[in-house]
Amino acid sequence: MLNTIITINILLPIFYLCSFAVYLYDFLWEKKLLSNAKRIALFLTLLLHLFYLLARTIEYDHPPITSKFEIFSIIAFSICFSYFLLELLTDIRGTGSFILLISLIFQLISSLFVTNNYVVPEVLRNRLLGLHVINALLGYSGITISAVYGLLYMTLYKNIKSNKFGLIFDRLPSLEILERLNYFSAVIGFILLTVAITIGIIWLPAAFPNFSYMDPKLVGTLLVWLVYGYGIIRKTFTDWYGKKVVIFSLVGFVFAIVSLIATNTLAKTFHSFY
Amino acid sequence: MNLVGISLNHKTSPLELREALHLNREEIISLINRIKSGNFSEGVVISTCNRTELFGFPKDGTIDSDFLIQQLIEFKPVAGIKPEHFNRFFSCGAIKHLFSVASGIDSMVLGDSQILGQVKDAFEISSDLNFSGSISSRIFDTAIKVGRRAIKETTIGEGAVTVSYAAVQVVEKIFANLNKKSALVIGAGETGELAAIHLHDKGIGKIAISNRTISKAEELAAKVHGEIIPFQFLKEHIYNFDIIISATSSENLILTADEIRSAVKKRRGAMMVIMDIAVPRDIDAATREIDGVFYHDMDSLKVIVDQNMQKRREQIPLVEKIIIEEMINFYSWYNALDVVPTIKAMRNFFDDIRMDELNKLKHKISEEDYSKVEDMTKRMIGRLLHNPTVKLREYAETGDNSKEVTTNSLILKELFKLGNNSNNSNQEKETH
Repeated sequence: MLNTIITINILLPIFYLCSFAVYLYDFLWEKKLLSNAKRIALFLTLLLHLFYLLARTIEYDHPPITSKFEIFSIIAFSICFSYFLLELLTDIRGTGSFILLISLIFQLISSLFVTNNYVVPEVLRNRLLGLHVINALLGYSGITISAVYGLLYMTLYKNIKSNKFGLIFDRLPSLEILERLNYFSAVIGFILLTVAITIGIIWLPAAFPNFSYMDPKLVGTLLVWLVYGYGIIRKTFTDWYGKKVVIFSLVGFVFAIVSLIATNTLAKTFHSFY
Repeated sequence: MNLVGISLNHKTSPLELREALHLNREEIISLINRIKSGNFSEGVVISTCNRTELFGFPKDGTIDSDFLIQQLIEFKPVAGIKPEHFNRFFSCGAIKHLFSVASGIDSMVLGDSQILGQVKDAFEISSDLNFSGSISSRIFDTAIKVGRRAIKETTIGEGAVTVSYAAVQVVEKIFANLNKKSALVIGAGETGELAAIHLHDKGIGKIAISNRTISKAEELAAKVHGEIIPFQFLKEHIYNFDIIISATSSENLILTADEIRSAVKKRRGAMMVIMDIAVPRDIDAATREIDGVFYHDMDSLKVIVDQNMQKRREQIPLVEKIIIEEMINFYSWYNALDVVPTIKAMRNFFDDIRMDELNKLKHKISEEDYSKVEDMTKRMIGRLLHNPTVKLREYAETGDNSKEVTTNSLILKELFKLGNNSNNSNQEKETH
C-alpha cells in the first residue's frame, strides 16, 4: 500500500498538470474534440486523487488532515471536485484552466513535501474532526472558486467596457453567467462553512479543555461567515446584482485569506495542530 | 470533361450591374428552357443579388462559354453589361470555381452560408426541368458536400461580420438569456431593421421600435412582433430596456449621458447595453463612463467585425484543402466511369468465345452431355472472371485510386482487344 501511495503521490501533480494543460489548450485554441476529453481527464484525476486520499486514510489510520501538506492535497481535491460539480451542473467548460491551476499548485506543493505520518496526536484521529476539517476546506474551496469567477467577471467587464475583444471576450461565458457561477459557488462555500462551524461548535468544547469562544480562529471564521452571509442575503433578497455582488465576493475572499493567515501565524490558538 | 461556366460577381462588376442582372425563379426557368433548346444538354443557373452564374455541358463536346454569355445578355438585356464583366471557366476550373462558390470563399461577405442554399435551390430547378444528368448531379452533390464540410470542419462562417450582428454578439457576452431581456431599437432604417431582426432571431424577450416616422416603426414592429414607443416619449421609456440599439440618421444627439445616468438610477444599477450604430452618433459618447452601462459605437463594433473577417480569412486555406479533397474524390469517381463498360466488354468477349466453342461441340455430343459442358464452361468463365470483375467494380464504386483503374482498364482493353466493344457503353461519359 505504501508503494502505491508513493507512486500516486508522484502521479497526482502530473495528472493535474495534464488536466490543466488540456483545459488551457482548449481555452486558447478551442478544439471541439477536446471538449469531452478534458472532462474525462479531470474525472480520472479526481478518481485517482480520491483513491489516494482513501489509501492514506487506511494506511496511516487517520484522515489525511494531520499536516499542512496533507491539508494542501485535500484543498487541491476539494477545489477540483467543486469545479467538476459546477461544470457538470452548468455545462460551462471554458473556465477550468483558471480553477485547475490552483489545484495544481496545491497538489504540487503537497506531493513535494508530504511525509508518512503514522504517529499523530489522538485528537487528529477523530472522525468528527475529519468531517469538520473537510467541510471547512470544501467551504473555503467554494469561496476560492467564487473569487476566481469574480476575477474573470471583472476582467471581462473591463474588456467589454474598453472595447478589447480578444481571447477573454471570445472564450469566457457571458457576464451574467460568470456572476451566477460566482454567486452559486459562494453559496455552496457558505453552506459548507456553516456545517463546519456547527460541527466545530458542538464538538470542540468536548475535545479541547482549553476551548474558548473567543479563540481568534473561531472569531475569524465566524466573521468570514458573517461577511458572506450578509452578501448572500443582500443578493438573494434585495437589489444587489452585477458588479456590486462580484466586488463584495472578492472583498470577502481577501478578508477570508487575511483572516486565515493572521489566525494561523500571528495569533495563539488551541485550534492549531501542526 | 466539357463543363463550361460563366460568372458575373462582385469581383467582375459593379453592384448596379449585379442587381440589374439578378434573375428570379421564373426568369431562371425561362433561361434554362432557352439554353436547353440551344446547344446545351445539362446546366444550372445560380442567381443571387451578388452573383449570376451559369454552368452547362455543350451537346457537341465543345468548350465555348460565349454562347452562355450571349444567351444571358440577350435574355436579360442590362444597360452597360459587356462580356468583359464575366469570368469564364471550363472543365476542372469550372468545378473548382463552383466548389469555391458553394463554400462561401468566393462570396463578397467571406464565409456567407446563404449561398450554399442558393446553389442547392438552383440545382433543384435544373433537376425539375430535366436539365441535369448523372455527372452534373454528382458535381452539384459534391459542391453541396464541400459547402457543408466548410461549415462543419472550419470556422469560415463564424463570428459577426456586420456591425448589426457584432452589436448582438456583444449583447450576448453580457446577458446570458436574451429571452428574459427587453430591447429598444431606435430608428427603423436598414441598419435598425437588421439589428431588430438579429435580436428577434436570438429570441429576445421583448422588443420595441421607436422611429420619427411612425408608419416605418409599425412596419418593423410587425416584422419582429414588437411594440412601438412613440419617438416623442422615448426618453421616458429608456429605463425599461436592458438593450438599446440606436441607428437613426439624426444629425443631433438623441440621448445625453445625463438621461442615461438617470435611467440607470431608475434601474437600480441593473446592467444596460447601449449600441450606437448611427453615423453621426445618436447617443452621447460620455455614456461609456457610466458604471454598469456598456456603450459601443460604430468604431468599437468595427473592431469586432475586422477581427472576425481576419479569422475567416485565416480559414481560407482549410476550405481550399476541402475543395481539393473533394475534387480528387470527384475525378476518381469520374475516371472510374470507364470501368463499367470495360467489365461488360470483357464478359461479353469471354462469353462469345465460350458460345463459339460450345457451338462446335453441339452436334458431336448428346444433349445431356452438352448441357453438362455448357454448365461447366459457364462456371469456369464465371470463376475465371470473378476476381478481375470484383476488383474493377470495387474501384468503380469506391472511386479510389483512379490511376490504377485507368491502367487496369487499358491493360484489359489491350490484352483482349476490347476497344471496339466498349465504345457503345462508354457513350455517356464521352458526351461530357
